[in-house]
Amino acid sequence: MTDRLLPLLQFSDSNFPSGAFSHSFGLETYIQEEVIKDKQTFSEALFIYLEKQLVYVDGLACRLAWETLEAENETGFFQLDEVLFASCLSKETRLGNQRIGERMARLCYDLYPSFILEKYIKEMKAKRYYGHSALVFAAVAFHLGIDKQTAVKTYLFSTLNSLVQNAVRGIPLGQTDGQKLLVEIQTEIEKSTDEIMKLSEEDLAAVSPGLEVAQMQHERLHVRIFMS
Amino acid sequence: MNLTGAMELKAEKKAERTILSHCYYEGALKLTRPVYLDEHAPSVYMIHVGGGYVDGDVYTTKIHAAEEAEVSVTTQSHTKVYKTPKEPVVQKTSIHMEENSLVEYMPDPLIAYEKARFVQETDVYMEEGARLIYSDMMTPGWAEDGRAFSYDWIRSRLKIYRNGRLVVFDHLFLEPDESISGLMQMEGYSHAGMLMVIHEKVDEAFIESVCDLLEKMNLEARFGISELPVKGFMLRILAQNTKTLEELIYKAHDEIRSRLLQKDIIRWRKY
Repeated sequence: MTDRLLPLLQFSDSNFPSGAFSHSFGLETYIQEEVIKDKQTFSEALFIYLEKQLVYVDGLACRLAWETLEAENETGFFQLDEVLFASCLSKETRLGNQRIGERMARLCYDLYPSFILEKYIKEMKAKRYYGHSALVFAAVAFHLGIDKQTAVKTYLFSTLNSLVQNAVRGIPLGQTDGQKLLVEIQTEIEKSTDEIMKLSEEDLAAVSPGLEVAQMQHERLHVRIFMS
Repeated sequence: MNLTGAMELKAEKKAERTILSHCYYEGALKLTRPVYLDEHAPSVYMIHVGGGYVDGDVYTTKIHAAEEAEVSVTTQSHTKVYKTPKEPVVQKTSIHMEENSLVEYMPDPLIAYEKARFVQETDVYMEEGARLIYSDMMTPGWAEDGRAFSYDWIRSRLKIYRNGRLVVFDHLFLEPDESISGLMQMEGYSHAGMLMVIHEKVDEAFIESVCDLLEKMNLEARFGISELPVKGFMLRILAQNTKTLEELIYKAHDEIRSRLLQKDIIRWRKY
């Protein structure tokens, strides 16, 4: 077994080529509307994105996926993939998630091969399942013996980190401001991780309605630098 | 579990016309006799005989459309949910759609009053060629202190299955907190609405044209429209009042009826 700290550092590196680099998940709509225009406004958006979208959707899915693997419940794992795909009602974001999920699965499998990832990749190739980064992350973390809390927290951090890097390019924002945000949001990441642990399966995939509308509207923006 | 109200209906196609071959209701739910606003397809109105939903109420609705059957289900007035000090109100709906059937399920808005908790679980099972038109509106009731969001929470989970697989899942959970009216949540609006259509003929061009039409109406609302994982689209609207939600939903519905179903426009509302 490799040291558990090092893979975690590797996954949360914003240069980790997951493909998230090309996606704003609807934030670009707000940038074009100038609702998000500087550190202050982006910070508010980032906190809400964490507290709602990541807590109820991606983060909760990551926790539940980790639990299905612990319970050796493969069916449950793949059901989560189905729920994530079916509940993302903006086409562009749905396809973005799928693309990132596929790419991350192949990359993670090359780096840390495991049975579940091999199966996940096969299912995606056969078009029976779709792919989502939250599940790929849960799979690789579980395989490496990383506990649930740490896995979820790292997943939240790495997702926020790539959003911050995208904001630095997209708004644009200073690199230092971007890094400051990653400090300021740390307490909230802890709180959100605790919150995710308390939620139930019934809470999964609760939409952030305004964000979903922004993701849908992004599909019709004329000039854009992100794919979603 | 004690049911406050239950209703069941089955629609079957006989010759050119769909008839209701089974119709049952008990408790606080009633159904009107079908009216043929569309000469081939019945419209039925669900009626709540009490003043509204109260603490611990449980309602079930079952709709079954047999092969080729076409039916529209709506309500006679708004659904009001009052405070629920002990247990939330639960409404469970299941819709079974056999091959090539058509179900339009478009109830009036839900109004959630102060301290109301409401959960709605809707499961739709669709066979090949089945066509669904579904709309929903979640609105806040008047509160003494004038707050826009005085209900405790509203949860709506709509799941659509095809061939045993979950293909669409719309989960709206509105729980007023300091961020509900803001960014990414209600965006300064108080009323949420949606219209979903599942139909083989929906493509990007149709979605685009509906979007353009709605934009041209120039209403004070924020909305998005996008293609579903199956052939169809989802329209989500945030607005300041029910009228705006209805205008946008009805406009899109008119387009669906005339261009996808090749049917005349119908108006269920009497006001």
